[in-house]
Amino acid sequence: MTGGVLVVGYGNALRTDDGLGWHAADLLADDPRLAGATVLQCHQLMPELALDISVAALVLLVDASHALPAGTFTVTQVERASDAGTTWSHHLSPPSLVALAHELYGRAPEVFLVSAGVESVELGDRLSPVVEAELPRVVDAVAELVASRAAMTGADPVAEPAVTAVAPADPAAERTHA
Amino acid sequence: MSSKIVISPVTRIEGHSKITIHLDDQGEVADAQFHVTQFRGFERIVQGRPVHEMPSIMARICGICPVSHLIASAKACDQILAVKPPPTGVDLRRVMNLAQIVQSNALSFFHLSSPDLLFGFDADPAQRNIIGVARSNPQLARDGVGVRRFGQQIIEWLGGKRIHPGWVVPGGVDAPLAAETRDRILSTIPEAIAAIERALAWYKSALVQWEEEAASFGDFRSAFMALVDKDGNVDHYDGLLRVMDADGKLLADRIDPTTYTDYLGEAVEPWTYLKSTYWRTLGYPEGVYRVGPLARVIVAGQLGTRRADMELDEFRRRLGRVPSSSFHYHYARLIDTLYAAERIEELLRGPDILSPRVRSFAGINSNEGIGVSEAPRGTLLHHYKVDDDGIVQWANLVIATGHNNLAMNRSVRQVAKRYVKSAQLTEPMLNRVEAVIRCFDPCLSCSTHAIGEMALHLQLIGPTGAVLDEIKR
Repeated sequence: MTGGVLVVGYGNALRTDDGLGWHAADLLADDPRLAGATVLQCHQLMPELALDISVAALVLLVDASHALPAGTFTVTQVERASDAGTTWSHHLSPPSLVALAHELYGRAPEVFLVSAGVESVELGDRLSPVVEAELPRVVDAVAELVASRAAMTGADPVAEPAVTAVAPADPAAERTHA
Repeated sequence: MSSKIVISPVTRIEGHSKITIHLDDQGEVADAQFHVTQFRGFERIVQGRPVHEMPSIMARICGICPVSHLIASAKACDQILAVKPPPTGVDLRRVMNLAQIVQSNALSFFHLSSPDLLFGFDADPAQRNIIGVARSNPQLARDGVGVRRFGQQIIEWLGGKRIHPGWVVPGGVDAPLAAETRDRILSTIPEAIAAIERALAWYKSALVQWEEEAASFGDFRSAFMALVDKDGNVDHYDGLLRVMDADGKLLADRIDPTTYTDYLGEAVEPWTYLKSTYWRTLGYPEGVYRVGPLARVIVAGQLGTRRADMELDEFRRRLGRVPSSSFHYHYARLIDTLYAAERIEELLRGPDILSPRVRSFAGINSNEGIGVSEAPRGTLLHHYKVDDDGIVQWANLVIATGHNNLAMNRSVRQVAKRYVKSAQLTEPMLNRVEAVIRCFDPCLSCSTHAIGEMALHLQLIGPTGAVLDEIKR
């Protein structure tokens, strides 16, 4: 473990519930349970994140998902992809991002994906009521996971920010990830 | 019986598109069209908005190159305010614009195009991606991550925000540069330059194997257009328009960009949302010209930085003064990126870069403004008309991808004629048709100001209009 905790909330903040990751990141950035962690918001998972992941002790990705009912969420450990697929573009799936960190930098920590179901991905910068009600539970799940991993590993996950400046800047401000 | 092939969606580009290839009665390619199938309509959306909101709104056109729209929009607003930004404000805008050039060029070359260049256009698609690059040439992949990150970090450090920074405003920028930020950026420049030079060395060593593709990837005579400074050297932020023909003769020089409508026409076709810009004196569709990195390195006398000028000299020794193949966008893009990194350093070492005077203030002093700059993909024009209260009444955007639309269509046609040999589609055929579009690095979200994901849809269509074959991915 060379770094601290890295939280990446991603999605499109202008697409209602697809912005779940951004809203969660806003809360987590000010959450004392994650003091010292690096919290990022981005629209997509970019290759540049591979470096940040490779130096973190624990990574949590927070995203919206069409596959889940609104008002529910899941936490899954991300396994490294064995194949990047056939049509890689300029954003990556969580397994591909973990694989890229391994390939380029020789390591990746445990990575967890927190996925929350959506009710709407129409234009709008607010969550739907049902997803907004779920948001605190998503935030708690992230905080509890950080605490539990710290207890298991004995590492202080909030002691050292993984990196001070990341710029997975931009991409596709208006693309849906849910 | 003639037929038509459709590629839809086109992958590893910014946005949604489709390609149709029409076969004649003999089964030969008769025509091909590059359709942009997404639409948003920012020119209409902004009507009724206060002009001071324009930079922030226009930056939302694109998540890849928001800074380009921010710059062009702020410059159009400068004209409406009849205000001259302080020199330091201009230099800081230049730094951010160049950082945008770096990160977007890096995305295009390393992330989108290098898989084709490393593995070849006939390689297994499962290998031809960023993971494949990381396994085969990890240094190239790491350099891609590093160079793009370099540009993105500068944008974030200057703008205080990773996405859609609001730091560039009418009249200049809204905060001076801190010495700590300057020093932090300067500390990252040597490695960025080293990474770009490694990529250039690799590309030049591989160039010879792409002679066949270079001869058919949009290899045709056309004009090239870009901004140049008063000395005729490249200028990504300001300057005058220069247009050079295929023989190196200047079709036009030192054109005030605010008179662009005298020179550039805009045409629309029913089969695409992307406007086609053309050189008026040559008419439509004959007035094809190209913009972007290839145009910048062609029309400029010199670039103006030491390393980039050495590379430019070699580029011209290898390919001539006006290389006609669009394949050479890749090479030009790397030189353009090297220049940008060097120029950022020059600007940051300027004696007044930390000056607190970075913004001028004014009210509405003009009812019209035109802002022009070089975006990663080429010349970008924002043209606004406002009422006396500064409320936007009309807007016209001329985007690099629109300038290149005629050239992209011609390129797709050329590649299709060279590689599409039957009414059944194959992966290498498909990839080459896509790859020629990637040379231009089109940004369809910008050019139609639209929502979209990367996608490719190819259709083969017969003389009766029947779809004979189709690939989607």
